[in-house]
Amino acid sequence: MTARHAHQPVDRPVRQSVLAVGSPRATDAATAARTGGRLRLVDLIADREWVPIAGYAFYVALLTAGYYYNLTFVQLGLIDLGSNRLGMTRSSVSLVMAVLALVALAVSVAGGVAMDRRGWSRDLRVKLRGLTAVAAVQLALTVLAPLLRTPEGFVVWVVACAATIGVGMPVTFSFMADLIPVRDRGFAAAVPAGLAFFVAALYPQQWRVEEFSAVMAVVMAPAVVVLAVLAFRPSQLVDRLAGQQAQFGPGRYTRPPASTASTAVFALAVAAMFAVFFIDSLGFLRIIDTPAYISTSWQSPDLGVRIFIAVAHVVGAAMAGVLYTAFDWRWLLVWVFGLFAFTHLLYTFHLRTAADAVPPLVLPGVYVLAVAFYTTLNFALWPDLSTSRTIGTRCAVGVGVAGWLASFLSTSVALASDAADVPLLTHLRYVDALALLLVAAVPLALYAARVRALARQEPS
Amino acid sequence: MTLELLPMLLLSLLLLTSDGADAGVARLVLSGDHRLDATDEAVIVGDATVTIPADTEIPAPVYVIGGTTRIDGTVRARVTQIAGTLTVGGDARIAELRHIGGTYTIHPDAEVARRTSVDLATGTDTRLRSVVALALVAGLLAAVGARLEHTRRRNLDTIARAVARHPVVTATVGALLTITALSLLVFMAFTLVLIPVSILGLLVGVIVAALGVVAWGHRLGQLLPLQRPHVATAAGVASLVVALQLLGAVPIVGDAVVGFIALSGVGAVVVTYLGFTDFHPAPLPD
Repeated sequence: MTARHAHQPVDRPVRQSVLAVGSPRATDAATAARTGGRLRLVDLIADREWVPIAGYAFYVALLTAGYYYNLTFVQLGLIDLGSNRLGMTRSSVSLVMAVLALVALAVSVAGGVAMDRRGWSRDLRVKLRGLTAVAAVQLALTVLAPLLRTPEGFVVWVVACAATIGVGMPVTFSFMADLIPVRDRGFAAAVPAGLAFFVAALYPQQWRVEEFSAVMAVVMAPAVVVLAVLAFRPSQLVDRLAGQQAQFGPGRYTRPPASTASTAVFALAVAAMFAVFFIDSLGFLRIIDTPAYISTSWQSPDLGVRIFIAVAHVVGAAMAGVLYTAFDWRWLLVWVFGLFAFTHLLYTFHLRTAADAVPPLVLPGVYVLAVAFYTTLNFALWPDLSTSRTIGTRCAVGVGVAGWLASFLSTSVALASDAADVPLLTHLRYVDALALLLVAAVPLALYAARVRALARQEPS
Repeated sequence: MTLELLPMLLLSLLLLTSDGADAGVARLVLSGDHRLDATDEAVIVGDATVTIPADTEIPAPVYVIGGTTRIDGTVRARVTQIAGTLTVGGDARIAELRHIGGTYTIHPDAEVARRTSVDLATGTDTRLRSVVALALVAGLLAAVGARLEHTRRRNLDTIARAVARHPVVTATVGALLTITALSLLVFMAFTLVLIPVSILGLLVGVIVAALGVVAWGHRLGQLLPLQRPHVATAAGVASLVVALQLLGAVPIVGDAVVGFIALSGVGAVVVTYLGFTDFHPAPLPD
């Protein structure tokens, strides 16, 4: 770090009204004038601080690759593998996916708690070793995937995959504390959120597990080697990166004088994000099964449409990054719920009035915006609600419960409704109801929190 | 869908309800090249190329708000052209043709039972018209700017400060609000019941956008070597409006600059609560 950075006074966060967009503060204008709200990365590049820049690059590459793998291989590939190649029924594939989600959740929480208890969360080298092991096992699993012949083998494969995902989640998410300063976290979360979906929207166009597994293996093999070198060979680069946590580590909402990341707030965040993921998978699973929608958007034969979707992901993530940086995270949450409610309203309206007409691109467009928003929030929020002593647990619980448990539960509900022959419109009506409820509930909760804060301030 | 299409879409929906058609069903064709089959629904042609073939009979009204429409078949209801290009072929049979705007050619053999025309401005040179329109907009906004400089100077200053200090944040907020608000307004218009709300929303949006442009112009005016502040603001606003119009002619880069200025203006107006309070982003440690 240069002296310029070291001597800058820390601009302390103050607890401010969540309803106020911003509160006037005398020092704020001065700080803004000095740093211009600029990314730390810009200063780092200007000062040629290559070590932290390498940290950024590593974090972004890691999360992009990890999330892309999850979006394609885990979410698309496994269903294809089970139902089309192994001839399993739809419900048994879903059962396997449910096992995947639950095992990933259990391993992740156990891993996260262990990381915090044993101090591994604070040791970059240990985390790198864990990541190397995860990447190596996943490489092996990727190569093995096209060779699977029996449902039993598939189950074993899925359990092993779930275990690596479980270990991988708290490890990768907690890298943010080592590598990304608080000011840049919205940006650092937006880049992988945008890029992973961007690539996934364009490749693979047609799902063929052999081809995909070969391509992934070719990309992953050198990455595993690089990771192994970084993790096991003594290196100045890793030592210096490991030293950054003292400065970068404490999350945005845990900094003195007023930490706003109490356990209650964290629990609320988990509940809210759980609701987001739940609504998304619940509605989306059925939409994905509706050919008219999926063939005019995500799986359109028209490359232009897919490019539109890919670019919308990037634009949405960039917006989310800016908003996350400039506003309280709860505002972003309000937007996520709002966008989801609006998306479902659009889809339901289209279903009711013009089910046979070509759906306009605004439908997937708004959907993509909502997805980009919550993905960015998911990457940035958990590290920002944790200190270096709680980051393993909070990342694991946050991502595990909000992401995996929600997907698991909503998959079950969506399948049950499918099996019970509930028509799409009825199904979406429940999703709509849920989305509207949350749209109303979040601003009310924010308002109630403000009332409570004011009531406490009142002199007794 | 382009922004210019939105008011025409609203107008067409309004006409649709007043025409007393079965308003619950309307087919909106926004893009691509289509040949219409027989349909009971009213048809609204946006930025698309639509052909009604010779053997097709359509009982419902057709609204042309953009793009290119060719009618060779039979339309048993009213065809309304608000904008775009309409071509009526020799075999066409149309119950009524109502022309409000746009260009049309009608084959002499075509059977058009009734023709009404609400000609707003035909015969005038289009270039002259656009120059006059630009001068009107620039003059109006400059007058508003001068007035606000006089009565609400602090608000203008606050909005201008927000765009200058936080261009990225204000542009992002503006972009997000514009995207969602526009889709919401179109969506509301399609419910038909909410058309008035939709028009009101569009009006509010135009006012907010205008206020943003005025604030930008106010900022620009402060850089001009003019002594009297409200004259400076008026000059800044007028030159900004003209500059935006000229920039719009430059492909891609021009559009990007115009979009950025407009969206950051909208965002700044919103995050400063119409300029009543300064905008401060959430404080972050370095």
